[in-house]
Amino acid sequence: MSRREAPLNRVVLALSLAALACWLWLPLGSIAPNRIVLGTAYSLPEALGWPLTVASCLPLLGLAVMAWRPRRPAYYAALALTLLLLMALPLWLALMAQRHLDPALPQARVGIGAAGWLMLFWLSLLLVELRTRLALAGWQLGLGLVPVLGAWWLTAPGLASLALWQELAGRGEAFAEALLQHLLLVGGAVGTSLVLGAAIALAMRQNPGVERLGFALLNFLQTIPSLALFGLLLAPLAWLSARVDWLAALGVSGIGWAPAFLALLGYSLLPMVRNTFVALSEVDPGVLEAARGMGMGRGQVLRRVRLPLALPVVLEGVRITTVQAIGLTAVAALIGAGGLGTFIFQGLGQAAMDLVLLGALPILAMALVADALLGALARRLNRHTGRTTGATP
Amino acid sequence: MIELKSVTKRFGDETAVDAISLTVERGELCALVGTSGCGKSTTLRMINRLIEHDGGEIHIEGRPIREFDGRLLRRRIGYAIQSTGLFPHWTVARNIGLVPGLLKWPAARVAERVEELMVMLGLPVEAFADKYPAQLSGGQAQRVGVARALAADPDILLMDEPFGALDPITRQGLQAELRDLQARLQKTIVFVTHDMDEALALADRLVVMNAGRIVQQGGPLELLRAPADDFVASLLGGDDRGLKAAAITRVGERMLPLATRPVPSARVPREATLHQALAVMFREHVERLAVMDGDERPVGEISLRRIVGAGREGGGEP
Repeated sequence: MSRREAPLNRVVLALSLAALACWLWLPLGSIAPNRIVLGTAYSLPEALGWPLTVASCLPLLGLAVMAWRPRRPAYYAALALTLLLLMALPLWLALMAQRHLDPALPQARVGIGAAGWLMLFWLSLLLVELRTRLALAGWQLGLGLVPVLGAWWLTAPGLASLALWQELAGRGEAFAEALLQHLLLVGGAVGTSLVLGAAIALAMRQNPGVERLGFALLNFLQTIPSLALFGLLLAPLAWLSARVDWLAALGVSGIGWAPAFLALLGYSLLPMVRNTFVALSEVDPGVLEAARGMGMGRGQVLRRVRLPLALPVVLEGVRITTVQAIGLTAVAALIGAGGLGTFIFQGLGQAAMDLVLLGALPILAMALVADALLGALARRLNRHTGRTTGATP
Repeated sequence: MIELKSVTKRFGDETAVDAISLTVERGELCALVGTSGCGKSTTLRMINRLIEHDGGEIHIEGRPIREFDGRLLRRRIGYAIQSTGLFPHWTVARNIGLVPGLLKWPAARVAERVEELMVMLGLPVEAFADKYPAQLSGGQAQRVGVARALAADPDILLMDEPFGALDPITRQGLQAELRDLQARLQKTIVFVTHDMDEALALADRLVVMNAGRIVQQGGPLELLRAPADDFVASLLGGDDRGLKAAAITRVGERMLPLATRPVPSARVPREATLHQALAVMFREHVERLAVMDGDERPVGEISLRRIVGAGREGGGEP
């Protein structure tokens, strides 16, 4: 309440001024005649001319002014301005491409400059701040983002020369395949670790010896660098596939999906087991006492009381594991497991930053979406129990 | 009827319950009292086999409880505990219907029984049936806990400090309700508490335990008048014992026919306790009160001498 009466929202002010500074002084984008040559960077006035530059700055100035009126209507206006800025973001790039791209050079491409990326960053932070101030639910914010995505969609034809786009255009099928491989590896590792982790956690609860050994082993596994683990798995898997025919038929070998899957599984097990174990242990002893006292059997207590009450915390484990696995799978590309990491390492090898982005951006998006969805699910499951475990908003 | 015959329980080297014998008659409310760690909760939990006894025998309705399957036995015995143990992910109605569900009652019968119990325990069905335990106050949650214990209409009810976590006013309200409920339902109740006033107010019989043994058992007035040793006496409140006895004796039991003319102006209901009558005397500065019936008619009188005498011998002046 005291914040609402405060004369100034410093967060909004600082963010909008930072965005303004980046927008004016850093390069909006660059134009390169082909894939290899480093492009020419254009600042905003150079790219668009002063009238458009001033026009593009007006919403930011408006945001800064709103910071002095920290009340609900002003926050809604600020939200509208932020969404407007987000919608317009690709438009400036498209205009730049239209003005400066030499039609004689079909290979020429537009790169997104620091101002573009940082603007996206500052605007996202602004959205977070405004969402908190207005106490918006996740779906309300999501609804607000629909016109943004729509605007981007409409601007897309003007950005055919965007380097990122061109990298994708040349690899449409490979991209789809990599995306699918990535999802399969993550889904397989998380799914298997969930089943295996639950079994291990249950065994640990039965036997303190298993508990100590299990956690020691899993903690140790977690400390091995991922690349080293891939390397360590190479020899035994190659040996196995050479001896066991059906494993070879499945495609198991020293490189490829099998070692990647095993390593991912190893890394996923610790958070999964730890969360499942904690979840099962921290169920209120009074509830369990009552359940037994009412005449429920062990199986009934587990199925109808322990597991449902543990589920939100288990889901928290799934969330951590999934986000972690999405990132780790990128590294798995190094041993030929496929996935979006392929583009990252190819791009690094060819010094083609836009190809790196083609791999990195979807990974980032997948991690964010998985985090948001699983967090929302955990919160939903928690709504009756009054607990606050589960994702942070 | 519950019979314990030299029942013993050891945890490692420690003897938690040491050869206790106890009979709880049908329809009786028996309170196990004592300081924490005296073995009263262990005794309670041996009756429904949440804890197995090591020695001696426990019989319910004449049959040793070892003859029953533990789970089936517990479904036949109501159980209410201090932390309520309500399932936080189930609604109030589903919590209450737990045991009938385990007993595979048809859904319609369970629903009917749940409504009946909610009404019985003063929980309006529309307001509470779909609430979750986290949305209830402590007193409401404990009512749901008691309703759940009564759901399958068990003959025996075990209660482990059910009102221990409640504020004094809520606790007294629920104690009164339990008394009324017991007057109607006549269950065999074993009630564990460390609150001596609660035990005196509710129990037909008190069983005082210390270090795993029964020190004394008997009716509330019996114990107050003749505590077996200093431990029981101090547990019963030392010098406050007289006042505690006055607090559980009704004016109606001690009044004499109306003799004084004119009728004393200060008055007290017949259902009041001697303790309350004393309080009226202090307030009005009199030694004689008119005793009124439910229709505010004087039906007798009670004097200070009579109250004081009654506190000691139960008889008093002629």
